[in-house]
Amino acid sequence: MEAENQQCPRCHRTFSTRKINSLSHTFAWTIAALVMLVPANLYPMMIYYTLGKPEASTILEGIATFVQFGMYPVAIVIFIASFVVPLAKIIGLFILMYHAKRASKLTVKQQGQLYHIVEFLGPWSMLDVFVVAIMAAVVNLGFLSSIEAAKGITYFGLMVVFTMLAAESFDARLLWDVQKDDVQKDDVQKENSQNENTCKHPPQPPSDVGLNQASQHDSP
Amino acid sequence: MKPATSLNNVVICRRCDAALSKPNIQPGHKAICPGCGALLFELKKNPMERTMAVSLAGLLLFFPAILLPMIGVSAAGAHNEASLIDCIVILLNSGYHIVALIVFLFTIAIPIVHLLAAFYIAVAVHFNKISQSLLVFFRSYHVLDSWTMLHVFFLGVIVSIYKIVDLAELTVGGGLISFVLLLICSTLVSVTLDHYYVWEKMEQALED
Repeated sequence: MEAENQQCPRCHRTFSTRKINSLSHTFAWTIAALVMLVPANLYPMMIYYTLGKPEASTILEGIATFVQFGMYPVAIVIFIASFVVPLAKIIGLFILMYHAKRASKLTVKQQGQLYHIVEFLGPWSMLDVFVVAIMAAVVNLGFLSSIEAAKGITYFGLMVVFTMLAAESFDARLLWDVQKDDVQKDDVQKENSQNENTCKHPPQPPSDVGLNQASQHDSP
Repeated sequence: MKPATSLNNVVICRRCDAALSKPNIQPGHKAICPGCGALLFELKKNPMERTMAVSLAGLLLFFPAILLPMIGVSAAGAHNEASLIDCIVILLNSGYHIVALIVFLFTIAIPIVHLLAAFYIAVAVHFNKISQSLLVFFRSYHVLDSWTMLHVFFLGVIVSIYKIVDLAELTVGGGLISFVLLLICSTLVSVTLDHYYVWEKMEQALED
């Protein structure tokens, strides 16, 4: 395929019209992230020692402690950053992958927004890893009180990295392909139709009219 | 290889991927995507000077930001303070190599390379010393963009302060102040670096 090995005249990098095997890469990273999410939530993130007495807490237990002490702002920030966002990111990626294969009730614009949200949120879920790193270094007052990192943190960190890699390997243009196929009533398998689009059609500016028509087409 | 002539006047919106014909704008003006309202490109006056200054400042600030203590705690006569590098060393010592690597990469290594790339690009483009290797730098600059997590780390510091504040007496060190300034510099670099101008200059220089 000639289109696969062209060089960008500006940055001299070889490019392909689509990211190669985008879906399978995204799927692999998302599954890896999902697998990491389980131990990340089951194992404690850090261990507090107060007067020599250890007390381990998982993400959710830590949030519960904050709520108990009435520190609602921190509880909300941590709850969103380390529980809601990672979970939402993985679910969002699955939704996108599902819709890259078949047309959906969501318009392409909404799916595009979903993708950009997933992409934007990526780094922010690293928050908890940094908090543990800082706390473990700073709170070290000998017998009085000290904090140590615990097992869960490794899984959590890996989970965040995996979701970021998943979002990066997802090709948002796949969402457009589905719309085109649907309009053409094309039953050829995704992979084939993708290649056809690659070779025959130059990039077309998405017009709002086309978008509306396509989405009307979709709805049952 | 020269770009296809038909594509010379095309801009792609980075947010919604719309292909648009390139408008002619005056220096000091911005071009906006009609579809999603995102900034397509902007023509600035003296585009490289600010990036040069800000990225240099950022690079210099890195040393105090990493090495000076960020926060200190003291309670009942015991005192402890930690810098960013301490955080990583302590993680390493307690056997969390992966986490230490993650923290090191996203808060030190990648931001440094990112700033260094921006500085090198700004200097090279400003003095018109454009070489093939500059392409590699600018490409890596784009790739690294989504992996710098200075801002997330800063939020982490704030959350930690909030967590510790009831536990012990807190002191804020020079490391944290440098870190805030570093964060401002790295944000300013992304704002001031004129991608459009850089690509255009590089294209011109490498064609000759």
